[in-house]
Amino acid sequence: MRVVIAEDDALLREGLVLLLSTSGVEVVAAVDNADDFLSVVAADRPDAVIMDVRLPPSFRDEGLRAAVAARRLHPGLPVLVLSAHVEHSYATELLTDGAGGVGYLLKERVGKVERFLDALRRVAQGGTAMDPEVISQLLALRRVSDPLDTLSAREREVLGLMAEGHNNTTIAELLVVSEGAVHKHIRNIFTKLDLPADEAGHRRVLAVLAYLNR
Amino acid sequence: MKTLLRSCGRAWLYLVVGLGTAIVALVTTFVLVALLAFCAVGVGIPSLPYAVRVVRWQAGFERRRAARASNTPIPEPYRSGSVLKDPATRRDLAWLATHGVTGLLFGTIALGLPGDGLQLLVMAAVWRLAPGGVQTPVALVVDSVPTAWAAALIGVCFLVLSLWLPTIARWQVGIAKALLAAPEGAVLTDRVAELSASRAAALEAHGAELSRIERDLHDGAQARIAAVVMQLGIADQLHERDPETSLSLIRKAQDTATDALAELREVVRGIYPPLLSDRGLDGAVEALAAYSAVPCELHRANIGRRPAAVEAAAYFVVAEMLTNVTKHAEASRVSVTLAGTADTLSIVVEDDGRGGADERRGSGLAGIRRRVAAFDGTMTLTSPPGGPTVLRVELPCGS
Repeated sequence: MRVVIAEDDALLREGLVLLLSTSGVEVVAAVDNADDFLSVVAADRPDAVIMDVRLPPSFRDEGLRAAVAARRLHPGLPVLVLSAHVEHSYATELLTDGAGGVGYLLKERVGKVERFLDALRRVAQGGTAMDPEVISQLLALRRVSDPLDTLSAREREVLGLMAEGHNNTTIAELLVVSEGAVHKHIRNIFTKLDLPADEAGHRRVLAVLAYLNR
Repeated sequence: MKTLLRSCGRAWLYLVVGLGTAIVALVTTFVLVALLAFCAVGVGIPSLPYAVRVVRWQAGFERRRAARASNTPIPEPYRSGSVLKDPATRRDLAWLATHGVTGLLFGTIALGLPGDGLQLLVMAAVWRLAPGGVQTPVALVVDSVPTAWAAALIGVCFLVLSLWLPTIARWQVGIAKALLAAPEGAVLTDRVAELSASRAAALEAHGAELSRIERDLHDGAQARIAAVVMQLGIADQLHERDPETSLSLIRKAQDTATDALAELREVVRGIYPPLLSDRGLDGAVEALAAYSAVPCELHRANIGRRPAAVEAAAYFVVAEMLTNVTKHAEASRVSVTLAGTADTLSIVVEDDGRGGADERRGSGLAGIRRRVAAFDGTMTLTSPPGGPTVLRVELPCGS
């Protein structure tokens, strides 16, 4: 897998390069600003990019905008965004083109190396990897006549894990239940939220997120 | 010439209306003197507030009249509290008596000069038609050519003097302004008192904020990072002897550091919402509206970038109000309007809920008022039972 990294903090950038190259991921380029990032990506489409939200010169949301621009250039280009804080609205912005292949994680999640690499692979294959923090922000939004109110506590849990990007086997392991039970919960969620039952990994997450953000 | 005549006409009208108000003022003055005499013997005291109201009404009328004539607003100088102790009441009374006398004089001049001037000229021309001469408004009987010339001369003088009417009208405006506007010192004193109060509130809020942040950091992230350093130190020591425990300590240190980061994020969010610094007020409020639990309509005009503290306060107001609406208003929709001028930012939040919002009942409204006051801003809330609830906030953001 060939990736491009855009991260302005030297320590984190070097750390990521080290971590990825020792894990068999080829780092094509590691840059510290959005302009360099865009020219590298435009020259040669990588398999995935890893972005910081805040980049020079103004340290606002250059990284996010660069990620969106890169996806316009290469539709469906897998993007894993890392940030010191997460805003659930940014997740929606990244997902709006509906092409999948989007991840949005807090920077410290890199520390759990196996899980991080797993998330990167999922994203590179067109799946999603949402930080649990994004999910809890979304679930904390209480809406008038909230359709989520109809879900049981267990079903909410399953929905959150689904949105993070886990597959049924992992969800079953995490909740210590059988895979059959997870299947049943997901069927119930789809029915209660009036979503078409679609087993393709990222599409169900997109559907859930789109629903949450309506 | 035309403008001169027009300004004379306006001055004449001003002074004639002034004559009317002067008569009322004079009558009021006499009534007040009589009333005070009654008060001295113990009756009439209950009628004083009514008397003050009558005086204030007249003063208000004159204020508006003088403001229109001079094209500069004259704000009411009254303070809240006892009307009898208000220095503005004494100044109103001084104006009442002064205007009663001067207004009568000025008004008579305004009525007399041009009218009598014209009358004299007419009489100088037509005296022959009246047998035995005519009696003029001045002590002069026109019954011969020399007296006719004299009458004509006096008439011309009167008309020329009428050109001074605008000056006299300005005197009247000047009297109103001098006595009915708040004395400059008082305006400044009031402003200084207001600013001192808001500065004290700002300092107090700022101090409370700082000590809260200090506490959060000290009890949270700082303590956890100290623990991480300790855990890593022990892991280093055990590295050779007990690699198993050493490894588990390293993992524990990682978890602790992760917790510290989570707490730091919370603290940072409390100091300045990251979304605000990423996207500015415009983008941040957009996100608030988009994710509001109650459907929210957002109107924005000329927000631009404002000082960071003002943006944070505005964001806080909108966020707090949307939370309030969601929790208490039972509304089906809410609208948020942000509009800016060069030196103010105004926020209006309106919902169609059940109303009856009360600041004193420990909702976020008191917090909003404190925040806004710290910026020398204003907040008004109308929320009749049954709704709608409208909150208006004005934040100054100039220098």
